[in-house]
Amino acid sequence: MQQVLNGIFAGSIYALFAIGFTLVFGVLDRLNLAHAAVFTTSAYVGIELVADLGLSIWLAIPAVLVMGAVLGLVIERVAFRPLKGRHDAHFAGLISSIAVGGMFLALLQARYGPDTRRFPADAFPSTDFELGGVRITLLQLVILGVSLGLMLGLAYLVNRTRLGRGMRAVAENPHAAAVLGVNVDRVTATTFAISSALGAVAGVLLAFYVNSAQMTMGFNIELKGLAVIIVGGMGSLKGAMIGGIALGLAEVFAVQYVGSSWRDVVAFGLLFGILLLRPQGLFGARQVREV
Amino acid sequence: MLGDYTATLTLIALTAIFAYSFYAVLMAGQLSLGQAGLASLAGFSATVVMPDSPVVGLSPLVVGIPVGMLVGACVAFLLGLPVMRLRGVFLAIATLGFAEMVRIVLINAEWTGGAQGTSVPKLVTPGIAWGCLLLVAYWFWRLGGSRFGRGLAAIREDELAARAMGVHISRYRMAAFVTSGAIAGMYGVLLAYFSRFITPDDFGFAAAVDGLVTAVVGGSLLFLGPLLGSGFLTSVPEIQRALGVEAGWIRPFLSGLLLLVVILFLPGGLSSLIPRWRTPRLDPSIPAPELPALPPPGTSVLSLKGLGKAYGGLHAVRSVDLELGSGEILGLIGPNGAGKTTLVNLISGLSVPTSGTGTVLGIPLGPEGQGHRFARAGVSRTFQHSKLFDRLTVLENALVGAHVVTRPTLLRRLLWLPSARRDEQRALAQAGAQLARVGLADRAGVNAGALSYGDRRRLEIARALAAHPTLLILDEPAAGMNHVEAQELSTLIRTLAEDGITVLLIEHNVRMVLETCTRIVVLNFGGVIAAGDPATIAKDPVVIEAYLGSDGPADSRV
Amino acid sequence: MRIRTASVSTAAALALLVTGCASEDPADTAAPAPQASGGGGGSGEDCVIEEPVPVGAALSLTGAAASYGQSQQKGLEVALDDLAEKEGVTYELAIEDDATDPKQGIAVFEQFISREPVSIILGPTLSNAAKTTDPIAQEEGVPVLGISNTAAGITEIGDYIFRNSLPETAVIPQTIAKAKESLGLEKVVVMYSNDDAFTESGFTAFEAALEEEGLETVETLTFSKADTDFRALLTEAKAAQPDALVVSGLIEAAIPLVTQARELGIEVPIIGGNGFNSPQLMADAGAAAEGVIVGAAWNSASESEENAAFLEAFEAKHDGKPDQFAAQAYTGMMLVDAAVRAGCSAERDAIQASLGSLQDIPTPLGTFSFDNREPQHPAVVQIVEGGTFTVLD
Repeated sequence: MQQVLNGIFAGSIYALFAIGFTLVFGVLDRLNLAHAAVFTTSAYVGIELVADLGLSIWLAIPAVLVMGAVLGLVIERVAFRPLKGRHDAHFAGLISSIAVGGMFLALLQARYGPDTRRFPADAFPSTDFELGGVRITLLQLVILGVSLGLMLGLAYLVNRTRLGRGMRAVAENPHAAAVLGVNVDRVTATTFAISSALGAVAGVLLAFYVNSAQMTMGFNIELKGLAVIIVGGMGSLKGAMIGGIALGLAEVFAVQYVGSSWRDVVAFGLLFGILLLRPQGLFGARQVREV
Repeated sequence: MLGDYTATLTLIALTAIFAYSFYAVLMAGQLSLGQAGLASLAGFSATVVMPDSPVVGLSPLVVGIPVGMLVGACVAFLLGLPVMRLRGVFLAIATLGFAEMVRIVLINAEWTGGAQGTSVPKLVTPGIAWGCLLLVAYWFWRLGGSRFGRGLAAIREDELAARAMGVHISRYRMAAFVTSGAIAGMYGVLLAYFSRFITPDDFGFAAAVDGLVTAVVGGSLLFLGPLLGSGFLTSVPEIQRALGVEAGWIRPFLSGLLLLVVILFLPGGLSSLIPRWRTPRLDPSIPAPELPALPPPGTSVLSLKGLGKAYGGLHAVRSVDLELGSGEILGLIGPNGAGKTTLVNLISGLSVPTSGTGTVLGIPLGPEGQGHRFARAGVSRTFQHSKLFDRLTVLENALVGAHVVTRPTLLRRLLWLPSARRDEQRALAQAGAQLARVGLADRAGVNAGALSYGDRRRLEIARALAAHPTLLILDEPAAGMNHVEAQELSTLIRTLAEDGITVLLIEHNVRMVLETCTRIVVLNFGGVIAAGDPATIAKDPVVIEAYLGSDGPADSRV
Repeated sequence: MRIRTASVSTAAALALLVTGCASEDPADTAAPAPQASGGGGGSGEDCVIEEPVPVGAALSLTGAAASYGQSQQKGLEVALDDLAEKEGVTYELAIEDDATDPKQGIAVFEQFISREPVSIILGPTLSNAAKTTDPIAQEEGVPVLGISNTAAGITEIGDYIFRNSLPETAVIPQTIAKAKESLGLEKVVVMYSNDDAFTESGFTAFEAALEEEGLETVETLTFSKADTDFRALLTEAKAAQPDALVVSGLIEAAIPLVTQARELGIEVPIIGGNGFNSPQLMADAGAAAEGVIVGAAWNSASESEENAAFLEAFEAKHDGKPDQFAAQAYTGMMLVDAAVRAGCSAERDAIQASLGSLQDIPTPLGTFSFDNREPQHPAVVQIVEGGTFTVLD
């Protein structure tokens, strides 16, 4: 039971990260590999806000959310907007976002140094609850609550608002959307901002959860995020959410039943199997292209 | 001077070889990230099989490199069987997942030394590294102008059109993937025996990303791309050291910035800086090749019985019976959404019927992925929304069209056999003749993407004709043409029929269909509602009610 | 980056960045290729060498191992300051970054060996890089002093390859013996990251030591060096009800692992190796670090004269406490100085000869000798008590 909860908490962070990833892919058909750098940046910035400026985590999370949104706009402007309409935009976008991500990390090292950064030992109250032999900390509940809250908020945004309609129209067909009066550029930029804001919150939550931020943390979650969006179905928000939690649980059960050395093999084996059986992912719709 | 940089020079060669393993699939428009895993498997395999002492006086690498390439190619083949049907990012992530699994398995394995890795002697000299690189580069140089290379480029530009031109997509993609595996295997062995040490961690996600970045920065349109990319990326840290840029964060920052600048301002990568100095010239003295004669008039070309296609609950085509004989010009008309294009896709093998049977030029309509078989049998087509290979020249587009009537040339080109050159010349003559037929001969060297709308439609026809088709399917060729152009097209189509080509014409311009065709079939709601000669159809009240009436009286009273 | 002993300060380093090009003019470097630098007069403390002795350090200043590399850089800078106060010999230290990429390590070594020749190379930071770079130096006859390589098979590369970093096999047996003796352990759970050469060899040493001491290993759990969430593993470990957790991991893993273990209610002692030996453990894990036992090559609490001087100088210069990487880097530079003065020569072969015969040198690591190019000095078993390391008796 403790393990199931471990899986759900870790999985909710994966899910939040992956939703940002899949949002850009779903709407714009681009993979933004700088997403992981935003994740790392926000973890460091979050620690600085809490540890050095003494902000409470309730203020740090919104602050990081805003910062993530700004970084998202920067990424869109620098790495993706200039490629618009180019024939090789697909591959070029991968590379330009890798380049921008690398620059973010370099700046991060310039500001914070290469060392792992942590919150001071007493940054949060270590309240925990014990229910039937299962220990849950207040922090874990906060993490779960924030992740779920943001995911539901996003679902509302996409399904119920004007902006969401614009995003869905662009996802369907950018040209048609432009004809219908959607400002494609603005929708694109907003999508990046929302995506990065979610990635940023995921970063700071993970930093809270494991009490550390390191330069390489983005690489690990990037791989997992890719796995999640495939498992859930490219571009499917519901899929990324369920996929994230499924991956968290799969890892935990791999540790318990297969052996910790093989944990990542299980995760990627799952990914591989799903790709072969259901290439569109669990919740992705198969696209029918007419000639 | 150069002697002081032997390690750097060797690394340029090795990095370039790794980048070629990405180039091998990028040139077919595929993104794979599994090469690091293949390289890792190959490198470790080599440590097991390589003899300690020289083999017949040669470095033990003469065993190690071929074994590594074989391991890379075989594993790529096995991996390709399930994953080759994936596309785009899905393929990239599946192969990435494979590479991660390889890494973890090798770390957990005893024979690799796990995280401690395996130490091996240093056997790779700059000469060996550059020798291998030249071999690989030579392969891709000769590949470029071969039929195989053109087929890969066509797949990259438009997979569906390539299939319609008879390119065996799954086989070509697999061949590219296996080539990539072999080259990755070569890299794995060379890297191990250059750095004297191999651990599974050297072949992780970061290595795969590096390889991809090198290949894309170099450019995937010219065989020199990976070499340029490697030279550029390997020397960046070296130059920064030489310039005295302080070690630390500033170096990765500058590298990132430089990468960004290259990718944003050089579409097509560094190799786009190299001018294309040679486009194949058309030599009018070489006659178009002798091609097998078309079947005599009246031979059955097409026979459909109760053919249907349903998407979910929607019947796009229902129970169509149709016979078509050689030399006919059959017009297929009907309102929008009547199922014309779906029917044509079934006939040309691009989609699979859900009910009924049919044969086209003796080939039964059958399972998916068999489109190239129809092209081979003599079916050729154009597309409603033109699907040209935009980054290839007009001539190259037509050459891809000639795919099914030419022979593979890659192996003979590698050996510089004169027969390969002769075959290439014949293919050029065949393609050139079709360009002349539609009036595009003077635009042969222009990229298809730069053509005007009307020229694009003409090139579609020329490309289809280059296949020397028995059955030519034209899907709304006159869309967007003015009256004069449509007249010219009509004349061209009748000439083709006189040459013995059977034509299936789908068109909205009813006047043109009535003028051009020998027989007309009218579709509505997926089924045939009328068939007959133009005069009969023009008077058929059902047709007028269903279709002609809605299209305005001017067209219907011809 | 080039630092002259005469002018090291943060500001000067910046200024040198600008003039870096000029100072790399061949005329300015110590000696022509391939052999670096000439001899001098006198010996030992009286030794005088006119030209500065060129020393190269190949460190991982960016990439995954950057935090170790930068720690080493700080240790070296402190050592240069200290050496500048001694008469007779000056050093010109070139610090280069291999970006945690063995391939770039090769290029850096090539630079130090032939293009900008140095008398001795310090580093590289990671053992895996050392396995690819050290053979090059060995072939060219350039001495290398590893200041953090602990994997097996490093000094076996050849007679020019030295290290001052005690391998785990020298530290762990006494850690386990001491811990068993003072805590009365019977069964343990072992956790280690299996994708890192350092921690995996630590695990091998732990495994042997546990068997030697007759302790039962009830469970062995592996993780990845990149992991930071250990809750799933720790829940497994807790279920096995061990007397102690034995962990071979880097400091990045140590801190979250320790804090998460306490959070899950695992109160048994946690035993770690060299990777745990960092002041960050107490600073960042706080109360959770209490009772953690660390076997290490450097006793940070040692009150020896050299160690006290090192701690003072380091804290004055860098505003923070040194870790073991800094201490070993500092010691490395001091050993180079001792070897140069012993032979009173900056020749590569002379340094190689005198380095190998160094005996009983007082250093922050303790009294140091080389035995067949391997370090000989006391190891220490520490326990965290009241927020600091104290020696476990």
